[in-house]
Amino acid sequence: MIRLQNVTKTYKRGGDDEVVALKDVSLEVNKGEFVFVVGPSGSGKSTFMKLLTREQLPDDGNIWVAGKNLASLRAWKVPVLRREIGYVFQDFKLLPNKSVYENVAFALEVIGKGRREIDKRVPEVLELVGLTEKSRAQPHELSGGQQQRVSVARAFVNNPRILLCDEPTGNLDPSTSIGIMKLLDRINRTGATVVMATHDQHIVDSMRRRVIELENGIVVRDQTRGVYGYGN
Amino acid sequence: MARWRYLLQEAFIGLRRNLMMTFAVILSVTVSLTLLGASLLLSDQVDLATDDWVGRVEVSIFLCDGRVCPAITPEQQDELREELEAQEVVAEVFYESKQEAYERFTELFADQPSLVESIDPDILPASFRVRLENPNLFNVIADQFGAFPGVEEIVDQREVLNQFLRFTNVVRNAALVVAAIQLIAAGVLIANTIRVAAFARREQTSIMRLVGASNWYIRLPFVLEGVIAGLVGALVSWGLLYATVPRVAGNLAQDIELMPFIGVAQVLAIGPWLLIAGTGIAAVASVLALRRFLDV
Repeated sequence: MIRLQNVTKTYKRGGDDEVVALKDVSLEVNKGEFVFVVGPSGSGKSTFMKLLTREQLPDDGNIWVAGKNLASLRAWKVPVLRREIGYVFQDFKLLPNKSVYENVAFALEVIGKGRREIDKRVPEVLELVGLTEKSRAQPHELSGGQQQRVSVARAFVNNPRILLCDEPTGNLDPSTSIGIMKLLDRINRTGATVVMATHDQHIVDSMRRRVIELENGIVVRDQTRGVYGYGN
Repeated sequence: MARWRYLLQEAFIGLRRNLMMTFAVILSVTVSLTLLGASLLLSDQVDLATDDWVGRVEVSIFLCDGRVCPAITPEQQDELREELEAQEVVAEVFYESKQEAYERFTELFADQPSLVESIDPDILPASFRVRLENPNLFNVIADQFGAFPGVEEIVDQREVLNQFLRFTNVVRNAALVVAAIQLIAAGVLIANTIRVAAFARREQTSIMRLVGASNWYIRLPFVLEGVIAGLVGALVSWGLLYATVPRVAGNLAQDIELMPFIGVAQVLAIGPWLLIAGTGIAAVASVLALRRFLDV
């Protein structure tokens, strides 16, 4: 489902000063897997996520996502790739002037889905995330956890094969985070591949899923049923 | 259907959100297109007058009256007339006596009595006025009759017309240049407005990008926003020209009987060009403004 082959990405920082974000990274994530990507800030987690959505291209190496080689993917086909990927943000990124229902429907509207499909699919996914009651609420009327559920619903409404979550519990308290993780787990069980970048040690330790640890742009650990870290 | 409703809705939200900017854009498009339209109409007017005049333009063959050259004899005059009428390029020959020349002069400058008074009725020369089949063949006449005994000077009235045309061309080109500069300014203003609009909705567009909305779907609301403002500006300028130009031309036509004037038909005819220019510049400016901003 996801394959990186000797991927290197560096950022220019004025003059000859370069920052290596990922260095010769090779890894593979299979269909239906649940993977944590952990590591301190600046370890390359964000770059990893941005490469998967083709917001950025690697300087070197190849990336395959959902059967597409991103290096040779034409710019106009990038939207097609992104329809296979759901993206959950740390800060939810809900549109403040739209209701819960409209926020979720928006993701379908802008890729040209018809009214009938939207009206069928949105209630389904709102039920999945447990927000049927709140479908007419505005985002500011919701708690952080509920907002993140809306964000997950929006990411999943198009039935993507891959769900990328960038610190989805970063802005939530521990008990709310558990709810979100249960939700992501449920989505994973429907067959979607979930990749989650996180700092949250408790969550990683309690889920016992595959853990890929990055440090200074290198994979220092790749462990099935792992925990957040050795000494910490 | 639903798509277009969404796109238009977003465009109007953008226009309303920043009313002052929208107003400034419409105003600047209106000013530039009004100038453009005015210069197009001036050019129409010149063409109309020229067409009318070219048919009437004559070659004047001034006859010697003894002041600068020996006065033409009646025999020479008859011979000259016969020769002229025999020419293939000549359509018509009129004779204008000194007296008739003076009368025409007083008529032409009736509103300047002091000028008329300063002219001695005898000073204006008699002439043959020759209308040509093709006004461009002036040289044939000039070459052939320039040295004819009793001919003082041959004047192509087209020269006079050309001077007038040169003047109107300068006016028209100046208006065009100002219109072009204004249009560029309007384009820059539109580009800036669209950039501001895109920035205000960057959250929304970043979501759209990540859920896989196509590029044109993300950009079109902004482009439409610019195009709508451009279109409104074009319509306003068209309306302004429609309301003023036929009236002004009508007033002039009453005072100046010398030439025909443009009317409603010409103003209507330039409308499409104004719309194309207004929406075109807006579309180009919007697309350029978004080029780097919303790249995938």
